[in-house]
Amino acid sequence: MAIEGLLQQGFVTTSLDSVINWTRTGSMWPVTFGLACCAIEMMQTGASRYDLDRFGIVFRPSPRQSDVMVVAGTLTNKMAPALRKVYDQMAEPRWVVSMGTCANGGGYYHYSYSVVRGCDRIIPVDIYVPGCPPSAEALLYGLIQLQNKIKRTSTIAR
Amino acid sequence: MAEIRNYTLNFGPQHPAAHGVLRLVLEMDGEVVQRADPHIGLLHRATEKLAETKTYLQSLPYMDRLDYISLMCNEHSYVLAVERLLGIEVPVRAQYIRVMFDEITRIMNHLFGLGAHGLDLGAMTVFLYCFREREDLLDAYEAVSGARMHAAYYRPGGVYRDLPEKMPLYIAQKSRNARAMGEMNANREGSLLDFLEDFTNRFPGYVDDYETLLTDNRIWKQRTVGIGVISPERAIAKGFSGPMLRGSGVEWDLRKKQPYEVYDRLDFEIPVGVNGDSYDRYLVRVEEMRQSNRIIRQCIDWLRRNPGPVICADHKIAPPSRVDMKSNMEDLIHHFKLFTEGMHVPEGEAYAVIEGPKGEFGVYFISDGANKPYRMKLRSPAYVHLSAMDELSRGHMLADAVTVISTLDIVFGDIDR
Amino acid sequence: MTPKHQRLHDTLGSVLGGRIASLSESRDYLTLVAKAGDYRSACQSLRDDPALRFDQLSDLCGVDYSTYGDRPQEGRRFAAVLHLLSLTHNWRLRLRVFCADDDFPILDSVIEIWPSVNWYEREAFDLFGIVFDGHPDLRRILTDYGFIGHPFRKDFPISGHLEMRYDPEQKRVIYQPVTIEPREIVPRIVREEQYGETGKP
Repeated sequence: MAIEGLLQQGFVTTSLDSVINWTRTGSMWPVTFGLACCAIEMMQTGASRYDLDRFGIVFRPSPRQSDVMVVAGTLTNKMAPALRKVYDQMAEPRWVVSMGTCANGGGYYHYSYSVVRGCDRIIPVDIYVPGCPPSAEALLYGLIQLQNKIKRTSTIAR
Repeated sequence: MAEIRNYTLNFGPQHPAAHGVLRLVLEMDGEVVQRADPHIGLLHRATEKLAETKTYLQSLPYMDRLDYISLMCNEHSYVLAVERLLGIEVPVRAQYIRVMFDEITRIMNHLFGLGAHGLDLGAMTVFLYCFREREDLLDAYEAVSGARMHAAYYRPGGVYRDLPEKMPLYIAQKSRNARAMGEMNANREGSLLDFLEDFTNRFPGYVDDYETLLTDNRIWKQRTVGIGVISPERAIAKGFSGPMLRGSGVEWDLRKKQPYEVYDRLDFEIPVGVNGDSYDRYLVRVEEMRQSNRIIRQCIDWLRRNPGPVICADHKIAPPSRVDMKSNMEDLIHHFKLFTEGMHVPEGEAYAVIEGPKGEFGVYFISDGANKPYRMKLRSPAYVHLSAMDELSRGHMLADAVTVISTLDIVFGDIDR
Repeated sequence: MTPKHQRLHDTLGSVLGGRIASLSESRDYLTLVAKAGDYRSACQSLRDDPALRFDQLSDLCGVDYSTYGDRPQEGRRFAAVLHLLSLTHNWRLRLRVFCADDDFPILDSVIEIWPSVNWYEREAFDLFGIVFDGHPDLRRILTDYGFIGHPFRKDFPISGHLEMRYDPEQKRVIYQPVTIEPREIVPRIVREEQYGETGKP
């Protein structure tokens, strides 16, 4: 095997990829970034009925210890620099779930002077979960979609 | 001799115990807080100015999004203010439904506050237990309006529609057999009122569980007794209301002193604290949950016995039913004008307050006769409570500053609006 | 007027006397308009007089009357509206005071009288530009740190002038002029008196 053929898609590399993706999706740790009402639904998702812990999702207070950020709530102009700072502190690989219409595109407060019209103006977003607020099941569905998205990525095989 | 200066600590906007987006700048002398300066406005969405650009009905859902834990109480204050401006009477059945949902909301708020308070102080079990009860109440919200949280159920003139006769049921799936489904659906077989009655029967047992975990717990007592003490005179001067005021011994509750809706016909008590510290406020909130349970039971009994209209009959304010709208020309015109132009409210101003779970929540309208409000001001209780943060946390240590924030029971949708 | 409101009405008249510009009742609520010069002394009497005893201030809000009723406004532009509550007598009052000057609205601060007004005055300053003379710490509270303008004034557009996005070259969030067009779905209409009345000429 030549060196340039080592990283091609083959049996070993795709199996390694699926193992890596399994470890990543099995233990996605979000950083607590609840801003407004969507944060309550996020807490409800993590609580008794729609338990997130059984998916391996435990909320971490520090961005340096987490891999996913769920932007839950309205992002205002005053909060945007803080959001960018928290995002920059997360280590690769990192993903962002934009939860709720306010984070998706400004939502109910789109025309306000102090609201950022979608958190994708500040950070790159992987999954958009619609709803106002998205019910706990919808957020759970969004997180499962993020798991599927991660499973489609290939780290080793190019 | 080296110079010792105070250390300024940023208790940042992203913090698990900040109850939302609070930037608290603390000047510390070692571990003791010398000065606390809350920076708010990180969730300022200009609700009041947006309401000036929307009709009265279109800006009703903004109210849910203010204090997003006590949802229907905010709507209640808004519709009371609009009804006061219009000068209309609401049917009695609608008033009982509103009171019942207000008390359900009060229980939801106190469950959340208790759970978050416990979580901030390290008691994680209470959090999971409280949220389990909240799920049942969110199911009640969903049954009556379709949405778990932001219901937009109260309308000027009454409530949108009557209570449902059936509750959504769990459906059978591979992982659960029919017997397990039967157990899960046991309390959902009847109407919403049956479901709530079953809840009120189980709830005192749950509150006893929380009290067993916390009330006589020496760790809880060490963390809350003597923290955030405020005297009654100072509390009144600082503008406190709700459990913050009652925890200090002032017997002031709008449901008894300035009753609105049907509170004067219901039988309940108001718990009042003694010392004005966090422990007393915790006890006040727990007892309020029990009293709310009592009120809900009385409302359920009344609602079962008394059917009737749930929204006022004046079609210049309340939309007609869809069947009438599709068959009757006048009702069609009323529906059209209401949903395009909105209702016209006579000139004047009105301020309506309710006893919300966090305190006195008020809505002040100035109307100049148009279909949109000229000025809407929201008086939120958490705004004044947080402004007293400096006074309450001076001299305490950093961990106690967390206790003070969570005993204030603040929510940033309410503060920043 | 209920007997209790009548008693409050008369007590206010006797205690405040000439400091009242107008006192009216509508929709079960008394509204007192005070003169700007007598504002602080009127508030002192409202709190201290035992027959009135308004010991708690519930709310202070700023109002901009410039487009009221879509008519050109002949009176003053800025006002502060206070809602007062007496726990001892169990009554409420609304107090309105107009700022004397439209271009530089300034009022006395009542923070010595009711400490709860601290953040309310900061908010009125931030959103309307009403300066409160005597407030120890008048800085902006709700709007962004470097915000220019007073957003709740009627001449400030709802979508503002600036919006924010992340700039990858500068590696920080920056301001840029607003890119959205505000849209009005429902126009604001003040109906005339005889709207929809049939049989009138």
